[in-house]
Amino acid sequence: MNISEQIITFAGESLTLTNQGVLFWEKQQALVLSDLHLGKAAHFRQNGIAIPSRLAADDLEKLGRLIGHYQARTVIITGDLLHAGSNKETDLLAALTNRHPGTGFVLIRGNHDRLPAAQLHSLGISAIYRQLKINDIAFTHLPAIEPDGFTICGHLHPGVAVQVPPYRTLRLPCYVVTPRQIILPAFSRFTGLDTRPVIPPATRYAFYEDGFIAIPET
Amino acid sequence: MKNQFQQTQGYTIIARWMQDKGMAPFRFQENTWQKYSRGYSGIVVAPTGFGKTFSVFLAVVIDFLNRPEQFAEGLKLLWITPLRSLAQDLARAMQEAINEIGLDWTVEVRNGDTDPLIRRRQQRQMPDILLVTPETLHLLLAQKGRDRFFRSLQCIAADEWHELLGSKRGVMTELAISYLKSQYAGLRIWGITATIGNLEEALQVLVPYPGRKARVTAQEKKKLEIISVFPPEVEILPWAGHSGSRLVEQAVPLILNSRSTIVFTNTRSQSELWYQLLLEAWPDFSGQIALHHSSIDSHIRYWIEDSLSKGRLKAVVATSSLDLGVDFKPVDTVIQVGSGKSVARFMQRAGRSGHTPHEISRIYFVPTHSLELIEAAALKEAVKTRTVEDRTPVVMAFDVLVQFMVTIALGGGFREDALHNTVRNTHAFSFITQEEWQWCVAFITTGGTIGAGYEDFHKVAVQPDGLLKVEKRRIGMLHRMNIGVIVSDAMMRVKFTSGGYVGMVEEYFLSRLRAGEKFMLAGRVLELVRIKEMTAYVRLSSGKGITPSWLGGRLSLSSNLSHFLRQKLAQAANPGNREPELRFLHPLIARQQEYSHIPAEDEFLVEMIHTREGYHLFMYPFEGRLVHEVMAALIAFRISRLYPISFSMAMNDYGFELFSDSEIRLTEDQLHQVLSRDGLMQDVVSSINATEMARHKFRDIAVISGMVIQNTYGRQKNNKSLQSSAGIIFKVLEAYDPSNLLLKQAYTEVFNQQLEEQRLVAAFLRISKSRIIYRQATRFTPLSFPIKVDSLRQSLSSEALAQRIQKLQNSSLKPGRKTKS
Repeated sequence: MNISEQIITFAGESLTLTNQGVLFWEKQQALVLSDLHLGKAAHFRQNGIAIPSRLAADDLEKLGRLIGHYQARTVIITGDLLHAGSNKETDLLAALTNRHPGTGFVLIRGNHDRLPAAQLHSLGISAIYRQLKINDIAFTHLPAIEPDGFTICGHLHPGVAVQVPPYRTLRLPCYVVTPRQIILPAFSRFTGLDTRPVIPPATRYAFYEDGFIAIPET
Repeated sequence: MKNQFQQTQGYTIIARWMQDKGMAPFRFQENTWQKYSRGYSGIVVAPTGFGKTFSVFLAVVIDFLNRPEQFAEGLKLLWITPLRSLAQDLARAMQEAINEIGLDWTVEVRNGDTDPLIRRRQQRQMPDILLVTPETLHLLLAQKGRDRFFRSLQCIAADEWHELLGSKRGVMTELAISYLKSQYAGLRIWGITATIGNLEEALQVLVPYPGRKARVTAQEKKKLEIISVFPPEVEILPWAGHSGSRLVEQAVPLILNSRSTIVFTNTRSQSELWYQLLLEAWPDFSGQIALHHSSIDSHIRYWIEDSLSKGRLKAVVATSSLDLGVDFKPVDTVIQVGSGKSVARFMQRAGRSGHTPHEISRIYFVPTHSLELIEAAALKEAVKTRTVEDRTPVVMAFDVLVQFMVTIALGGGFREDALHNTVRNTHAFSFITQEEWQWCVAFITTGGTIGAGYEDFHKVAVQPDGLLKVEKRRIGMLHRMNIGVIVSDAMMRVKFTSGGYVGMVEEYFLSRLRAGEKFMLAGRVLELVRIKEMTAYVRLSSGKGITPSWLGGRLSLSSNLSHFLRQKLAQAANPGNREPELRFLHPLIARQQEYSHIPAEDEFLVEMIHTREGYHLFMYPFEGRLVHEVMAALIAFRISRLYPISFSMAMNDYGFELFSDSEIRLTEDQLHQVLSRDGLMQDVVSSINATEMARHKFRDIAVISGMVIQNTYGRQKNNKSLQSSAGIIFKVLEAYDPSNLLLKQAYTEVFNQQLEEQRLVAAFLRISKSRIIYRQATRFTPLSFPIKVDSLRQSLSSEALAQRIQKLQNSSLKPGRKTKS
């Protein structure tokens, strides 16, 4: 894992964007990520669509390594942790949370997270919110701009299509950073990208294995 | 002197019936009847309008009359046709004949439009003759107890086999026939086809089984007349689209003097444009002409087809949507706007007029730019020599195979080795390896070799007795909905805010429009109001609208036609030619000759043109747009290997351009080097983005193999959690399962279809044998101009474009400095 970082200032706080799809808030020792869509591949397989099953294990392994690397005390998931109900892949989450007893796993419920709270707790999720506010920053699933607040959200799976000469288009996931909002990329590999243009002013931080490309829109 | 067959009771009855109707059997019909009666399978090759249907259909009837004891109650003849619209008319004609002959057989159609009541009755009791599409046939095979449908089956006929042959629908047909043949060894299989280049192969693909096979070819030929419509004057610097619009004036009298006319265009946007132009040129056409293409609501299309066959429409502007289908008797004139793209397509379109056997099919050719007139000359030559293209059969389409396997597993299950044999017996999978077969079995039973053993995969389950079956209702339901290989782009319905349905447009196009923007559809200017739940709400507007440029709407020139095109261009250099098209083009040819060169058949022309904008390198392989796309990327790649330089590219069916604002330095030697055959495919792969192309190809494969549930309107809600795009799955498979056969298939399709590897290799072979003519110029030449214009078209609005072209034409027509290298 080749972690590369991009530090930004948001709501007066210093936040670290990583090319691994997670944001690190050092002061809070918190990793923030979104749209894990755990169980999606398994759900597809149950319905006869042959998606390779290593996918979810890989995503969670990566999350485990990131928790270790940043010594995260809290992991905040801004929604869509689970794709649909519980299945074999969701068991993998329980194993992960078990391996990190010193870390709190906080979920902001997304439109896909339909499991009852009790079941989520049994997977090791310590707290569940509709919305959570830490200092001046509100964590939500759906993008919503509060006139004088700051939000970090997910849901959209933002991405960019970058033209690479000669004649290639690369589609990369990105963070969309505006003065009052950060939209996080989807953490799961098994998700699409929304590459529609964003409303300025905004900077899209697209990332790939070795680093970042910043695309400002003014 | 009557032969033995002609003395049979069956023959006598049919011959008498025909005689009563004032008809006499054609020789090829009699031949077919006789061959059939002797147990042959085969194909019948005959032009449209000569009673192809009656060859195979009556063969079965005669056989029945001669040996009724061999026939049992139930389905006797299964008739596969590619077109739904054909089925109804065919069934009517067959039923009429049967009634007149005095049999008690019933003829029925089964397809998506069939009344559920009739369908249920068919379930219990099949008619004697059933007309199906490849898709409905597979749906029948997906039914429990399918075997009882086919118990008395004697013959399978594949109508319009040439249409199915080159497509995955052909593979579906092969698989279904092979399955039925494995159950009922005595089946006779007959194809009916128009003339194509590879008839012997067409027969072997349809009937790869041992046994007696015949090819029956009609001696009768359809007479065809091609008439070029000449612009008032020759444009020395031609550009696409321009003169076509001017020729509308000349098309109007053709339509007025005909009973009914079909105006064929090559793209949907061109058809929208021509519809408007005709109305403007002759306002009285309003209400008398219609527009027919695949984005128009199917009900409106049926209405148009109906009105056309009843003679209620003066003209219909159409795309390939009307290439095939029922005969429109009143149509006596066909107009082709722009290139015909292939000899077969052109002949097929011509054949839409003048149906009765000895009538002449007349087709008017309207060039969209004057250079296209050479194509008219080329088409005449090709038609004269009947040099029709091959239809290359699709092989190793694993997406179709896995779909078929689930279909068979659904309708009562299969045993692995038995089905393996069935599959191997088809032409499409005759080379399937043991590993590939195992992979396909794993794909449907354990979800692929990667992740096998992960037991929550339930598509097809292996029963304790070894039978492979679909157990889950929901899987069966999803699969039935997904049977077929026609994958359409995600389409959005277009509706008026006041209610009323206009048609369908690709989601891709609409998603880029903002509310208030105008576009054209179904001959109307529409203003987008809002988009909600896969429906675009619009209101009627006026003025100018954007014409959706539908994806994949561009057909490429066939290699057959490009051969004749090169020939005719070479001949055009010789004055005194008697062909009117070439004579007409003389000023253009002369200018090309003066400022550059007219390539002879064994020459390859390269032009380096230096203008104020920069440096343009033009090459003219005449291999069609698709091949030129690949060649342009390849040549650009090879030049940039000599020294760093970047290009923009443009192409048409005749050639391509590489443009750079810095100097393109290319010596004669270097030119030979970049046109070399050495390391060809390797360089092609480096110069293009094969992954991106493969991802595009994977879209269809993912749907056909059942990895993506098609997003059909009104149904998507049920399967929302199963929605994913083929692009995502492609990405996941590339990362986790690179040896996935479906993934490999996507790359193979890129090489065979997108890159047209064979044709590309052949083109480079031809170039290597040609003398390379390298010319320098300071002005655009008649050959280069249309390519340049096409590249501008991409980037400019239409008004700016017209001005710009005017300017270019003027500056290029000034007497320029001639330089020859």
